[in-house]
Amino acid sequence: MPNVARDLVELLDLEHLDVDLFRGRQADTSRERVYGGQVAAQALIAGVRTVDPGYAAHSLHSYFLLPGDTQVPIVYDVERIRDGRSFATRRVVARQHGRAIYYLTASFQRAEDGFDHQDEMPDVPGPEEGVDMIGLMRSGGAPDADALAREWAALEARHIGTSRHGLPEDPAHPSRARMWIRVGDRLPDDPVVHLAAFTYASDMSLLGASLAAHRTNPTKVQMASLDHTLWFHRPFRADEWWLYDQVSPSASGARGVSLARVFTQDGRLVASAAQEGLIRPRRD
Amino acid sequence: MPASADELVALLDLEDLDVDLFRGRQPETSLQRVFGGQVAAQALIAGARTVDPAFVTHSLHSYFLLPGDTAVPIIYDVERLRDGRSFATRRVVARQHGRPIYYLTANFQRPEEGFDHQDVMPDVIPPEEGIDLAEIFRARGAVSAAASKEWEREWAALDVRYVGDSRRGLPEDPTRPARVRLWIRVNGEIGDDPLQHLAAFTYASDMTLLGSTLVPHGVNVSSPGMQVASLDHTVWFHRPFRADRWWLYDQESPSASGGRGLAVARGFTQDGTLGATVAQEGLIRHRDRS
Repeated sequence: MPNVARDLVELLDLEHLDVDLFRGRQADTSRERVYGGQVAAQALIAGVRTVDPGYAAHSLHSYFLLPGDTQVPIVYDVERIRDGRSFATRRVVARQHGRAIYYLTASFQRAEDGFDHQDEMPDVPGPEEGVDMIGLMRSGGAPDADALAREWAALEARHIGTSRHGLPEDPAHPSRARMWIRVGDRLPDDPVVHLAAFTYASDMSLLGASLAAHRTNPTKVQMASLDHTLWFHRPFRADEWWLYDQVSPSASGARGVSLARVFTQDGRLVASAAQEGLIRPRRD
Repeated sequence: MPASADELVALLDLEDLDVDLFRGRQPETSLQRVFGGQVAAQALIAGARTVDPAFVTHSLHSYFLLPGDTAVPIIYDVERLRDGRSFATRRVVARQHGRPIYYLTANFQRPEEGFDHQDVMPDVIPPEEGIDLAEIFRARGAVSAAASKEWEREWAALDVRYVGDSRRGLPEDPTRPARVRLWIRVNGEIGDDPLQHLAAFTYASDMTLLGSTLVPHGVNVSSPGMQVASLDHTVWFHRPFRADRWWLYDQESPSASGGRGLAVARGFTQDGTLGATVAQEGLIRHRDRS
């Protein structure tokens, strides 16, 4: 996994194979399966590359089908679904070994003005007061904390609290987790890089929020992202702190759904995220 | 549009054309474009018809591409993306005049046990105390009696009662400026097939969602100069429930910007079970404001 921002930018820079066909490199990793956020970010970039730059991505919906193999590159095949006056749509298939591992559909819009409102940012401590995520794992006795620290070195994540510990009580929402996240070093100014870097980071912690209500050791749970959805509301920089305000409205049938709102430090709501994942108690 | 529960059931019963290929009928309607909830529900049924009945739908994600033509049937073409041990995935293309108007991907799971939690249902007035949406439509004043009658005819398969919105009727919450709560049910029995209920819920779920994105702006979807269209539609089905019994549709719009509004909703049964979560982004354009 990329350990500095420069590695992350490289990871997101796809090789052009042919018209609407791209190849994404693999990061050096000890993971057994490709990280979902990497596939989502690379697939988004592949889609963007085929769209008139006058259009900006405003949403993506995706399903994970098979675990990705970390040893071979991923091929991204783009289908042009629509090129309208205001909107463009792309579908991207991520392939390895001749099989589809992931499908993403993204929608792009020519910038326009209109109604404006947003939820208010919750009152939370600043990122300086948050607890470093890796430090938290280490103090929690996670045996693989050093490996995790290496894998996630491109990102900084500061834990604010969960509904069980650290957040103001709210019995109506039993499963919540809040953290501050940013890419650790400066990224180039291209807005697409920031959308993709955010997409990369957005898959790291979301499913965890669906376990916040449950007294369980995450190593005893089989976890896998099933789908991943983002709506980009307003431009922002992924290398400056954003609050990831995650709520899981429901878990049932070994699945958990998490919704998240993304606020910049000055309180702008810049994106919303949604993910359903498998959270299956291990039987051993 | 279906005028009764029976007509809704008939609308959701697709004609089998070939393996993985279906045709959905059109209801009689004065709408100019096909209602998105109809396309979503028919596409979901098409996908479900190609999946082992032991698997149950737990999510769908979809994009609307072109306005649907109400004068011709819609073809639903299903692609089998995955048939795994625990999960199955289908992609459905809705076509008219040789062009895709809508893409849906749905996921199906063999039922299993696991962790369980859910948000608590907000404290609201019961459906009997809500205001019939048809009355609200009439009270909007700008519409003629004929238009109002027509509206009632179009939506007669659904019973919708207004609980309140963030400007009126709901407890104040300045941190969430755009909320609308409604009770909804199919207006009559629709049988016991669980898929029928998921599809009927999907049908209804697209009717009011974008309205919540307009609440802080003092307009509604039928205000003069408004252009409103669903861009995407997503449903996560958490637990089985009946669409012909009341469910609370607790809708909230976290954001509107750039001519688009996003709405997220939770569907609770009257006994407080969280049955489904819904999300939709839509185009919300006003002629004079852009």
